[in-house]
Amino acid sequence: MITLPLTTTGFGIVPLTAEVMTLSNLAGVWVSIFLTLAIFSFLYEDNPIYKLAEHIFLGISIAIGATEIYFGVFKPNLIDKLAEGRLLSIIPLMLLVMLLLKVTKKLDYMAKVPIAFIVAAFAGVKLTGEANANLMTQVAQTMPDLPAVYEEHGIWSWDADGAGVFSSIFLVLGLCACLLHFYFSARQTKSMAVVSKVGIIVLMLSFGASFGYTVMGRISLAIGRAQELLGLDKPPIEMTIGAGGDPINRMSLVRMMSLTTLIIIIVFLAVWQKKRNHQED
Amino acid sequence: MYQFLKRFQSLDRRWVFLGMAISIVLPMLFPVHFPTKVDERVQSLYDRLEELEPGDKVFVSADFDPASRPELEPFFRANLHHMFSRDVDIVIGSLWPFAPPLVTPMIEDLAAQHGAVYGEDYAFLGFKMGNELAIKMIGDDIIKAFPVDSRENVTADLPIMNGIRQAQDFELIMSVSAGFPGTKEYVLQIQGQYNLEIASSTTAVSTPDYVPFYKAGQLFGLAGGMPGSAHYEQLVYEDYPVEGVRMMATQALDVLNLGHLYIIILIVFGNIAFFLTREVEE
Repeated sequence: MITLPLTTTGFGIVPLTAEVMTLSNLAGVWVSIFLTLAIFSFLYEDNPIYKLAEHIFLGISIAIGATEIYFGVFKPNLIDKLAEGRLLSIIPLMLLVMLLLKVTKKLDYMAKVPIAFIVAAFAGVKLTGEANANLMTQVAQTMPDLPAVYEEHGIWSWDADGAGVFSSIFLVLGLCACLLHFYFSARQTKSMAVVSKVGIIVLMLSFGASFGYTVMGRISLAIGRAQELLGLDKPPIEMTIGAGGDPINRMSLVRMMSLTTLIIIIVFLAVWQKKRNHQED
Repeated sequence: MYQFLKRFQSLDRRWVFLGMAISIVLPMLFPVHFPTKVDERVQSLYDRLEELEPGDKVFVSADFDPASRPELEPFFRANLHHMFSRDVDIVIGSLWPFAPPLVTPMIEDLAAQHGAVYGEDYAFLGFKMGNELAIKMIGDDIIKAFPVDSRENVTADLPIMNGIRQAQDFELIMSVSAGFPGTKEYVLQIQGQYNLEIASSTTAVSTPDYVPFYKAGQLFGLAGGMPGSAHYEQLVYEDYPVEGVRMMATQALDVLNLGHLYIIILIVFGNIAFFLTREVEE
């Protein structure tokens, strides 16, 4: 068994599992709490605190993205190579300049050349993968080997999430019904209408499953933020703020900070709402 | 009754949000525990990792960001712990620009717990721009894709990279993926071409898209969303216990169940209200 050392470095945005929390650690925790609650304040209504958090988020995201692209793409692939005198790198530089000409009125046609390169390259890269892994393999999967399926799972296996002959047949029939639903040039006979309805039901089941997973994902994100706001994301160790301070439980400290920030935001929203109502009157 | 149902239908959405907040926070303050059954896809992933021998090399693609951290961090940590415990050599790379600052502390933390040596037992190659093209490069020549690692060492000089030139030189590939580029692109670009063994841990939103890959054998395991991470956590920490560890996904799973229950109640009650009031109005 491994025993976690109490002085491990942080995991996540705020490094604070150390026994001594510095003031910068404390500020980091507070910023994290404030921004989370500020974003959540949108659930009440669009407000200045939410706008502030939104702009900070966008600004930081764009800054990090631009920095990563500069150091990850431009510098090693263009600037460093040009500095080494590798003249072939002038070609991508020219394509880049031509792409930027899209914003001009007179020379915007020149952007068509790099755009054509980008489209062609991605079509080439995507086509083989999609054709092989997505189309061929998945089409093959819609033709199940029923005797093999029966041998492995029987008619229906609860242990394997319902895999078996029943599910395999349902898959094939459902797929056919969906495809026929989109076969618009066929004459709409009574039997075709029934098949089409089955296709719609299968599609709705599929959309329902996707929607269910999406809801689960969103709740998971909310839980993740709640875990951090309640100090449940890290061990509840005793720690001091600065060297020689009184010991305090980390979880209690985080909860205290969250509660204080929540009260401040609620008071702000109440004042802001009152002021707005007054202005409207 | 009619008035109550009518009022329920025009309920201010903020009450719904408040209800959701309460259904999330309360079970965290007063934990409840629901029995769970490990998903077959997660079990398959775990069983394959259990077959790895000490010294086997695995490539982990950490393709997530702070937004998907609650769902994927528990898996990522448990996965590294699992493989370090089995003395498997781990090479980590990323296709997401926001991943390196997020995963570096996790990697270092777990490596320190296991006494793993950088460059020999594990290495972090950093971020690679280029989406599908980067994946193609990893498939063809990983040294070319990551000429230097996150510590500015020459990748080819790292002892852990001995005998590794391309993706198929790894025993397995673990894709911890929050979207594009991620598991789907690994499957489309290199899985079939090199016949690679890939497993995925992904967000709940992406899970329905990846299930067909698992069913078709293109993925040998799939841990979907918070439940997937929770099931994997339970399997790993049961066999490789760590004193004082916080199983974040397992803790979240019980809360998730209550959150779902709240939504189901609202949907059912909303529908009942809609049909009953419509009947009366007609």
